[in-house]
Amino acid sequence: MTRALRAALALSLLAGAVEAQSSQFGIRGLGIPLRPLSVRAKATGGGFGLFDAESAINPAAIAGARFVTASFQTVQSWSRSENPVGSANVQDNRYPGVVVSGPIGGTNLALAFSVNGYTDRNFVLGSTDTLVLRDVAVEVHDTLRSQGGISDLRVAVGWRRSNALGFGVGFHLITGSNRIDSRRAFSDSKYLGASEAFTYSYLGFGLSGGVTLRVGTALTLGGVVRFDEKLRVDRDTSRVGTTDLPTTVSGGARLQVGPRVLLSGSALFRNWSVADKDLIDQGGIGSVNITEFNAGAEILTDVRRPSRRPIRLGIHHATLPFPFQVGEKTSETGVSIGTGMRFVGDRAGVDLALQRIWRKGATGFSETATLLTVGVSLRP
Amino acid sequence: MKRLLPYLVAGSAAFAAAACQEKLASPAECPEFCPGGGLQVQDILIDADVGGDTTYSGYIGYQQMEALLVSNSPDAGQARAFLTFPKRSDSVVVDGSTVFLDVDSIAVTLELVGRDSLMPGLKLFLYRIPPDLDSTTTVSQLDAAMTEANFIDSVIVHDTLRRGTVRAVLLPEKFVRLASLAESDSGRLGMAVRVTANEPTGARFGAVGSTLAGAPNLIRYGRVNVPDTSRVKQTSGTLAERTNYAIDIPPEPLPGRLTIGGKRASRSQIRFTIPRALRDSGVVLRATLELTPVGPIRGVPHDPATMLIRTILADLGPKSPVAVDFAAEGKVVAGETEVVRTEVLSVVTSWFGFGNPRPTTIFLGLSPEAGTFVLPEFETSRSATGRPRLRITYALPTRPGHP
Repeated sequence: MTRALRAALALSLLAGAVEAQSSQFGIRGLGIPLRPLSVRAKATGGGFGLFDAESAINPAAIAGARFVTASFQTVQSWSRSENPVGSANVQDNRYPGVVVSGPIGGTNLALAFSVNGYTDRNFVLGSTDTLVLRDVAVEVHDTLRSQGGISDLRVAVGWRRSNALGFGVGFHLITGSNRIDSRRAFSDSKYLGASEAFTYSYLGFGLSGGVTLRVGTALTLGGVVRFDEKLRVDRDTSRVGTTDLPTTVSGGARLQVGPRVLLSGSALFRNWSVADKDLIDQGGIGSVNITEFNAGAEILTDVRRPSRRPIRLGIHHATLPFPFQVGEKTSETGVSIGTGMRFVGDRAGVDLALQRIWRKGATGFSETATLLTVGVSLRP
Repeated sequence: MKRLLPYLVAGSAAFAAAACQEKLASPAECPEFCPGGGLQVQDILIDADVGGDTTYSGYIGYQQMEALLVSNSPDAGQARAFLTFPKRSDSVVVDGSTVFLDVDSIAVTLELVGRDSLMPGLKLFLYRIPPDLDSTTTVSQLDAAMTEANFIDSVIVHDTLRRGTVRAVLLPEKFVRLASLAESDSGRLGMAVRVTANEPTGARFGAVGSTLAGAPNLIRYGRVNVPDTSRVKQTSGTLAERTNYAIDIPPEPLPGRLTIGGKRASRSQIRFTIPRALRDSGVVLRATLELTPVGPIRGVPHDPATMLIRTILADLGPKSPVAVDFAAEGKVVAGETEVVRTEVLSVVTSWFGFGNPRPTTIFLGLSPEAGTFVLPEFETSRSATGRPRLRITYALPTRPGHP
């Protein structure tokens, strides 16, 4: 437990290191929603997220934790964005979630601390225009840079009711900031470039509850409900409003098919439409409800050592909550593959996930991204 | 584990190499798909406060004049330079010993700092005059003193010489022309200078207080009687101790116009009222000061001057302290009749910012001060047309990045 507390302290220092993924689909609303998944869960398309103690989705998933485990990951993305005015290749590197979990000695309880991304709003937009100044056409170059996003800091407690049944509850601190930097440069050197910069900061709270239930020897069911309350939004030192955050409902199943194959699938619904009015009031386009479907498989290459280079495959499809235009649908589809290995008596491990993601909107906006995620797990 | 280590190291290195690159820009179609538009750019014309502009004179004396003006041009103003050399010693110090200098030639040098660069045939005429003339001396008085009897020498200025030394060399038979006019002069030598050229023109020369070039010099070349034959040839230079000039244009600025420059070193102050909201929130992108000449700007062609534009720290009238950190300058040429536009971005920028108390006043001066023929005279804020004004292009924040 002491180790877990130390790890929690370290986590609080890493609160700013949330997942980020520069994307033109993160321009609207609060950004592009992020999935608080472990590398293993990412490699299986997110299907294992409800049952994975290293993912911060279902607090009941930690109920079965037998060891203190700390895991963190880094992701490198290469993406190509296309929209009606052109295309660009974008690449970036970020440090997504950190999770520390472990049992509370002498009880059926487990505790987990995690920092994950909630939404990401990293993007840089470049545009060129011509203004008529003093009766002369002057070319201007605008750059709008947004850095930051919203993080989800979670403290979760899991209770192992029996070997088959686990419950969990999570308390979420939703916080973060978004630095906006707008610059305009003129092709005519007589004009001085101009810029403005400010910071949006966010604060909100949430509560999640989950369950895992093993049915028979092969099937495990999982579910989670999460309630997030209003998000307070400040621009520098002034309150600009509040944004209602959605309720999330998710359920899934995991199925053991023979000794080598583990299948999993889940679905998620999030009523982002509750934020619609608030976002419009703040000058935005609005938001819509989303659904998400995930499915994945883990195939063991060595039944005696299941953690030795299993093959993980997955697919997911999700709609996105913040459209470019009113009434527009945006979505994301991804396939993934990955593996992992453990060593030093299973005290350390490395997991890899390679994802290919396609995002598209109705007005000519599209994006393809390749994400390579490397995760490290330690059991002190 | 040992077998895995090389793979882990290699994999980590490859990943790190890829991970170090970051490129985030995407094209955008704004404002349709941008979260908020770009900065809002606007233009405003601000006239000078009526009655808030003034011309002050007398900022420098003859010791600080940047140049001596010499002219035979009615457009620039007839100008004559005059100067005084102190008494010259008849000996020089060689190796610690004072020895008599047997002079065999004398050179009078003037440092040319400006002229009509396209005017050929420039020629200087040097005259011996009384050494005690002062700043009240007029062109007429000098012309009266420049007689054939007092003529020292003339020197042709090469047509290609823009700046540099002009030298008149006198051989012994003309030495007498450098003698003091009167016993009471105590060996001091007064000298006056006038010019001619193919057409009326003017030229400028270094003065005692000039930072542009050295003062006039009287150099004597001669021999001394010393054992060391390599030290026999010696020179002795004497810089002018006083320099000044007379010009036949009114010394004080005429009322009803903003004047800068002139022999009296006039400076002008112009006050503007900038809307408070603009000062608090706007970002200046470009600022242009527009001044309308009352007529063709007086001066010598092809010899421009520089208008200095500064803001002030506190409005104390003629003694307002200027903020040298925020300055602008623009070229002023003779004969200009169109509106003179000067970029004053740094000056105007210094007025902006929330609660900025700095006076929104411009202080105009001319460089070289009291050392140029260019004499800009502009319409004032009381003029029916052509009053001073500022054209400011500015941006207002739009707070982009909304959800």
